[in-house]
Amino acid sequence: MRDKNVLEAKGLNFSYPDGTQALIDINLSIPRGKKTAFLGPNGAGKTTLFLHFNGILKPERGKIYFAGQEVCYHHTALLELRKKVGIVFQEPDTQLFSASVRQEVSFGPLNLGLSREEAEERVNEAMEATDILDLRDRPTHFLSYGQKKRVAIADILAMQPQVLICDEPTAWLDTRHAARIMELFHKINRAGVTIIFSTHDVDLAYSWADYIFIMKDGMVIGEGAPERVFCDDRLLEEAELERPWLLDVYEELKRRGFVAANSPPRTREEFFLSLAGKESCSLAREERKGRSFKRECLQGFLGG
Amino acid sequence: MLKIDRYAYINRLCHVHPVEKFSFALLTMMICLLSSSPLTSLLVILLMAGLVILPARIPVLFYLKLMLIPMAFLVTGVLTVALAFTKDPCSFLWAVKIGGYMFGMTTGGLIAAGKLFLKSLGAVSCLYFLSLTTPMVEIFSVLRKLRLPPLFIELMSLVYRFIFVFLETADKIYIAQASRWGYATLKTSYFSLGLMLSNLFSKSYYDAQMLFTTLLARCYTGELKVLEKSYSFSRKNLLLITAAELALLIISWWSGASTNF
Repeated sequence: MRDKNVLEAKGLNFSYPDGTQALIDINLSIPRGKKTAFLGPNGAGKTTLFLHFNGILKPERGKIYFAGQEVCYHHTALLELRKKVGIVFQEPDTQLFSASVRQEVSFGPLNLGLSREEAEERVNEAMEATDILDLRDRPTHFLSYGQKKRVAIADILAMQPQVLICDEPTAWLDTRHAARIMELFHKINRAGVTIIFSTHDVDLAYSWADYIFIMKDGMVIGEGAPERVFCDDRLLEEAELERPWLLDVYEELKRRGFVAANSPPRTREEFFLSLAGKESCSLAREERKGRSFKRECLQGFLGG
Repeated sequence: MLKIDRYAYINRLCHVHPVEKFSFALLTMMICLLSSSPLTSLLVILLMAGLVILPARIPVLFYLKLMLIPMAFLVTGVLTVALAFTKDPCSFLWAVKIGGYMFGMTTGGLIAAGKLFLKSLGAVSCLYFLSLTTPMVEIFSVLRKLRLPPLFIELMSLVYRFIFVFLETADKIYIAQASRWGYATLKTSYFSLGLMLSNLFSKSYYDAQMLFTTLLARCYTGELKVLEKSYSFSRKNLLLITAAELALLIISWWSGASTNF
């Protein structure tokens, strides 16, 4: 039977050669097939943790498990792990080594020992998924930042990993491109790939993640489903994180009795739907006519 | 240099098989260098200019400007050939007497200089043809086909890629410095430039380490294996190239000065 948790860390400690303790006694399990977000300020140890997940860094103390198996650090076992766990790095300019987009994406599949034809197919699939087929013959240095970011994701997708780790996928991207990348993750996730990403954007994490870890100073200080983590005010304060705007607005509307007090909405669409649901109930009850209740309750909220 | 790179990707001969372009440029350059007939050199210059401007559609003005770059080196180099310094007073076209020596231009020297000038310009235009019509990535793939050591080609392609990252970083640092009056006076300019260079050095070092990490994360085992674009040879182009090379050979033979072969 396949393990429920795809990656696990037990008693993980790591410090860099200069003495900084980057990770302190990390114990966590990452659910398979879900989208997991890591939140936390810069220097919290998110990237260092990610580098442990595919064996780039070796724990000082503690162990990493992939699908219930302890990670070994000899050559072939590491290659096998890196085949299954792919990392997209934050800065595309240090990841993209080739001057040609096609060659860049083909590097991973060829390393897996695939034939030219298979690699070609994987490259095309990955470029199609990330919407960069038209950039195929463009040199890397002609691309914009957002395009480079998508090439960096295609790099890893072409290796068809079971786990895709993405370090700050939306950093420096405008909202439209950020949304496109998150949609892409959603699509990849539905195909059965576990997604792990780090971000500073609480709204993004709240809307997109199934499970959240909050890190600070090399420690995991909180974890859980998004609606639970973001309702824990003490935890948010400790991690210096803001509450997602959606939750804030929802709580305020709930307090004033404008929305039903069921589970908080996760996305903008869900939020409007819950408002609309309330609207139809109250319309039936109070036989209101004319103006949209949604507008009214928003006006009421803004006015008082 | 960056403009040449840009044209290499957008010119109309971009889709021609790189091996065709590479062998054409190299063969023509060999003929140009080995033949001592100035007619051959002149023909090579015209042929390459024609190809670059007509089928490849590189703007004429840009190409002329490119040709001016080697001119500066060529003129100074050729002058030293044209000028002679001997005791023998005969055969000078123009000379000044310095002590017992004659210093000036001889007919022979002038002809040799002219030949050299045309020959060098011909060879340069062959290289321009190659670099204006063939992207660097394709040149690397030709070198790989020529069985050059992989390490050599990998280094070249990494250097090529990171030249652009390096320039971009330098540009960003320059803007950041200039916007804070870093280049206001000569003194601050020197200071800022020094800071920029040391920053670039440490940044490059960091980038190199990071690159290694990112390659490792993609199962790097010591060889940069990549898919190459597949081109098909065009029979028409191969025939045209053979015809052009044969014609050049015959002309240089016929012009009677093929003694250097």
